[in-house]
Amino acid sequence: MDFRPSPAQRLLVSTARDFLQHHCPIELVQRLALDERGFDEPLWRSMAELGWPGLLIPPALGGSGGSLIDVILLVEEMGRACLPGPFVTSAVAATSVLLTVGSAAQQKRLLPALAAGERIATLALVEESASFDPEAVALDCDAPGRLTGKKLFVKDAHVADDLIVLVRGGGGLSLVLLPADRAGIVRLPLDTGSGERLFEVTFDGVEVRADDLLGPAGRGRELLAPALQAGALARTAEMVGAAQRVLELVVEHAKTRVQGGRPIGGYQAIQHACADLVRDVDASRGLLYAAAWKVAEGDSAEADVAMAKAYAGEACLRVARRGHQIFGAISYCEEHPLHLFHARIQAASLDFGDADLQLETVARALGLG
Amino acid sequence: MDFTLTAEEETFAADVRRFLRDHPPERFPLDGMDAGYGSGAHSRAFLEALAGQGWLAMCWPKAHGGEERPMFFKLVLMEELARAGAPFGPLAGCWQTADAIIGFGTERLRREVLPEIARGEATFWQGYSEPDAGSDLLALKTQARREGDHWVIQGHKIWSSHAGISRYGLVFARTSREARRSRGFSMFVVPNRTPGMDIRPIRSLTGEVYHYEVFLDDVRVPEDLMLGPEGEGFLALLNGLDADRFWGRFYKAPALERVLRQLVDYANATVVRGEPLARNAVVRRRLAEIAADIAALRLMFYRAACLLRDGGPITYETAVAKVMADETGQKLARLGMDLLGLWGPLREGSPWARLGGQISRLYLTSLGHTIAGGTAEILRTAVAVRGLGLPAEPKGR
Repeated sequence: MDFRPSPAQRLLVSTARDFLQHHCPIELVQRLALDERGFDEPLWRSMAELGWPGLLIPPALGGSGGSLIDVILLVEEMGRACLPGPFVTSAVAATSVLLTVGSAAQQKRLLPALAAGERIATLALVEESASFDPEAVALDCDAPGRLTGKKLFVKDAHVADDLIVLVRGGGGLSLVLLPADRAGIVRLPLDTGSGERLFEVTFDGVEVRADDLLGPAGRGRELLAPALQAGALARTAEMVGAAQRVLELVVEHAKTRVQGGRPIGGYQAIQHACADLVRDVDASRGLLYAAAWKVAEGDSAEADVAMAKAYAGEACLRVARRGHQIFGAISYCEEHPLHLFHARIQAASLDFGDADLQLETVARALGLG
Repeated sequence: MDFTLTAEEETFAADVRRFLRDHPPERFPLDGMDAGYGSGAHSRAFLEALAGQGWLAMCWPKAHGGEERPMFFKLVLMEELARAGAPFGPLAGCWQTADAIIGFGTERLRREVLPEIARGEATFWQGYSEPDAGSDLLALKTQARREGDHWVIQGHKIWSSHAGISRYGLVFARTSREARRSRGFSMFVVPNRTPGMDIRPIRSLTGEVYHYEVFLDDVRVPEDLMLGPEGEGFLALLNGLDADRFWGRFYKAPALERVLRQLVDYANATVVRGEPLARNAVVRRRLAEIAADIAALRLMFYRAACLLRDGGPITYETAVAKVMADETGQKLARLGMDLLGLWGPLREGSPWARLGGQISRLYLTSLGHTIAGGTAEILRTAVAVRGLGLPAEPKGR
């Protein structure tokens, strides 16, 4: 039993923290939150120069062949910096799909470009059921065939070059890989208020070719599972990083804000609230690392991932809400950063399966009939 | 990172499970109440059976009769015992006392008391709290004065677990008046039948006896039964309290896993309004949520365990874990009572009692858990001040 990252992982973390401190200060996050596109091209290119988008991709395909733990530690730092953008969607979830089920030709065409940050891919999974449960997918399509209908809550579709679409076909669920600019695809932004760029993507008689199919038809559910796990863990890491930062901001505030002649952190009401934040962050991180480690080892970890995501979703949101209470009125202002972290945690808690879905997975794993 | 036990630890876990199969824990006679912490009831017979395996002294230095096994073997043993619901109540206290004796005990303590611990004969009560010294331990009034080669203790201790059935008390007393309030305390290992000691049971809200109060009226203790340096007992105690929080709660997560398993089985087997309880969405969600809480709790303790093993600094980790353990236990007990409904309050032995009447007992005993061994309030303050560096509240005097 050992909770410590390896020396190489510690280096990755310290490099990431240093880089993000300089290149993704909170002012940039604030500006991007108000910006229509919400995507900083130069920042994305600098991240690509550090090799981050290729972290999961093997060296032969232009990546650095890191483990899921490496990615989790990196994304935790991204959450700490509240970095916006398509990293988790493209470099973790979509990349995982391609690594799991892409044909040699598909991998060769896309993975080096994804690793270099030259292409961005996203997942179009959810429909009007608003559920990440693959069984909720109704959109019909055969390959070859035509695709007509819509997907909702598609993240970063505006900057994506490729869409991985989950459809019903081939006697089950299938995955198809479509260039985002194929005729008949329209991306309509949703106004989230969370800083997340989410889209309705409509398909109007879009041509789907036989070689657009990702993996065997009809097996989409199990083929997608590893990517959903990686996505869920990455969003959990983002929550943990963001909550850690909230904790640090709150403690700093509690030490310096003087009321009644002494720092408010000297009052038990504030102290005890802060102690609860420590518990929430530490406990979330423990579940996250243990689940990521299990996945990286190739063990079955469905329930572990679900527990980590459900627990962190609740605990990290508690951190954000309590953070507002401790900061007081100032944190109600747009210019104060707390609401950005809060919104990020909220969004991450819903992505790749909300608490409802995750806890149902846990309930089944417990053996509840 | 690595979240598995080593091959040696796994082998040892299998040894413990085999022992438990060969010696079903429910067959051992019990001497004292199970207070619900996860270590079960007080059973000297069970402790002696563990001693028979060489497990009580296994981590001690060879010079003291141990085998110098790594500390994680203790965790493995406790986890397996807790999962099986075994009555190993006094074990953690025995180990802590042994560690203190090995660390800074007198020759006499090492010669006389250590072997008794190794054989499973010696158990200990903690004489820390007093009627007017609870969370403010330094307000204690018990004093020890020197008379020749003896110390004479005068005072009144309370909330001492299993004091009436233990062999020794660990009595914390003032031995000198010092300028600093935290100095001038010492610790004594006092044999239970020493003249002047009056041990009286306190009936708890479950109707059973777990705590005692102890009146010490000129109790004479030989000087070589002092544990640790004279006057520095408080610092020793503080280290002890960090360890106490860890070893006193490490087995809570596996014990709660056991209760959760019972509740899952109950939910599967119980039909309410024509449907298994397990199909009720609220029940499913609450059980799944607490399963995640328990998994998180277990990892909090293993993280603290790694710090203890690796000599990392412990500032807040055991305090935060203890509060989490006790509040998770209360949450699970509450959930259990909700699932059982009207059956919940039926006690062990009552007609119609469900799950052996153990859930209501867990519910009641768990009320004490956030009080004993440092209240949740004291510990949250410790997390904030020691862990986060927030300023301490001004002292009241």
